[in-house]
Amino acid sequence: MAVLETIGLTKRFGSLVAVNDLSLKVEDGEVFGFLGPNGAGKTTAIHMMCGLLKPDAGQTLIHGRPAASGDPDTRARVGVCPQNIVLWGNMTCLEQLEFIGEMYGVARTEARRRGLALLEAMSLTDKRDRLARTLSGGMQRRLNLAMALVHDPAILVLDEPEAGLDPQSRVLVREFIKSLTRKKTVILTTHNMDEAERLADRVAIIDQGHLLTVDTPEALKRQVGPQVQVRASTLEDVFIAMTGRGLRE
Amino acid sequence: MRLWSVFRKAMREQLRDRSTLAMTLLAAPLFCLLYFLMMGGSSTSYTALLVNQDGNPAVAEALRTVQYEDGAPLLKLRTVADRPAAEKLLRDREGDALVIIPPGFSAALQGGPASRYVLSGDLTNPRYTVAAILAATAVDGLVQQAVGAPPPVQFVEEPLGGSGSRTEFESYVPGIIMIAVEMLMFKFAMMLAAEVEAGTLRRLRLTRMTAFDLLGGISLTQMIVGAGAVLLTFATAALLGFESQGPLWVAILITTLATFSIIGFGLLTACYSRTTTEAAVVGTFPMLTVMFFSGSAFPLPRVPLFSLFGRVVSVYDILPPTHAVTALNKVLTMGAGLGEIGYELAAILVLSAVYFAAGVWLFHRRHMRVQL
Repeated sequence: MAVLETIGLTKRFGSLVAVNDLSLKVEDGEVFGFLGPNGAGKTTAIHMMCGLLKPDAGQTLIHGRPAASGDPDTRARVGVCPQNIVLWGNMTCLEQLEFIGEMYGVARTEARRRGLALLEAMSLTDKRDRLARTLSGGMQRRLNLAMALVHDPAILVLDEPEAGLDPQSRVLVREFIKSLTRKKTVILTTHNMDEAERLADRVAIIDQGHLLTVDTPEALKRQVGPQVQVRASTLEDVFIAMTGRGLRE
Repeated sequence: MRLWSVFRKAMREQLRDRSTLAMTLLAAPLFCLLYFLMMGGSSTSYTALLVNQDGNPAVAEALRTVQYEDGAPLLKLRTVADRPAAEKLLRDREGDALVIIPPGFSAALQGGPASRYVLSGDLTNPRYTVAAILAATAVDGLVQQAVGAPPPVQFVEEPLGGSGSRTEFESYVPGIIMIAVEMLMFKFAMMLAAEVEAGTLRRLRLTRMTAFDLLGGISLTQMIVGAGAVLLTFATAALLGFESQGPLWVAILITTLATFSIIGFGLLTACYSRTTTEAAVVGTFPMLTVMFFSGSAFPLPRVPLFSLFGRVVSVYDILPPTHAVTALNKVLTMGAGLGEIGYELAAILVLSAVYFAAGVWLFHRRHMRVQL
């Protein structure tokens, strides 16, 4: 069953068509990789999927209900970890997890319990009373991820979750995302093909607002395999084959 | 309750941002101190320059008797040797009005040939008029006494409320207290702009939080900070000799309601700001508008627009702080009670609600709803 479905999603900014007639289905419990070069329209598509941005045409359905309806219950089914670190610098790690939980309607005691569990999962327990602005960049990124989960959403949208992480933190975050498999639906945007290959059940490649392909990493590699003569094909080969070698702005 | 959670969060952030909090709390008490130092902490006096070519000491004596009820001088007399020296002092604003008593003045008083004394000064100096009238009244009194012709009709000055015993510094205190409240405009706009700038508002838009939760919660914190700033300003003024003529709790009620309106202005500022820097720049215009045109910084003449239920409505009456300054003046200076400021309180309430509602609506449109 599709927990999230986009139907003909289109967004224009002046003459630029950022997302063009994007239709895809994300199934319950899968990790869905959303790949594309810079400026491909990934973040715009994600914002429309979350209900932050109104599409010019088409719609997103979350559990069959329009995401842009403004219905808070529908919105609360999605947890978003944005690409940028979005934290309150003058609040402690635990305070912000409690606060965002309460904003989603979670009772304070429950938000605290979940916050503590998430801090442990992100190896931030000993930093629970530290102000966010005093954390290192990697710690802030891990907290940024925890913020998306405190209300226990069914769908988790991770916009480049490994960006700016050191190898140790990257492994921790990757393991954490793996631990969510089958429990939550994860939509993952990334430039890191290795990350997508390791984590995603299916991958969509988007470029210049168009959806180029959607399939499992294995199936995509098989499609591109004959073009790569000397070694086994990787998802990066697939990506380059689909989107070209030209640099993007 | 989400509004309460926003309130707790905003209060924590407020208390941890100590430099901004200190600036907001201490700006008005500092203004209070500066005004006190500017006014010398005493009643206003005007400097009369006297060039006495006649030499009659009674003229100087008559000018010196122009005093407040408590004996403080209203006219400060400075005797100058000649007119050119006196005019230089006028140009340098070291004197407000010049009185020249010609030779033969005493003789005229004793029935000799008629004489004329001169009043001179810079007519663009607003202090000249007051100084000239006071000096002329003193000299005319001397003349009437000398010739035995007291005026057939005399006047008695009766100060309104407690205004007769007020120093000029005390007359500025109501406006300074409103400045304490008006300073919140920047703070409130910057707090909201910080949420936009950091992207946290976008994060919050994904939650069940409403614009009312966010703005209500932050407004509550600002009302508490505003109350703190007002109390500190009152305390500073009291330490410098200020005494309220009316009940203090009424004055605090007025400022609390006025805070609500200032938050409305802050909201409107935040609507057009995406960064804290923008909020500081954009906020300057409404801040100065409110500060100057409400009469907080100094009293302004009323510019009538129309009459409503027998009351003249002036241009500046569209600003809620105008009514707050008027009400504070009535309470603190005239000794009025709650019953005598009903119109002003109603005006503050209605206008504050209008500005706040406009701010919430615009903020929701620009920052909270699904972007087009």
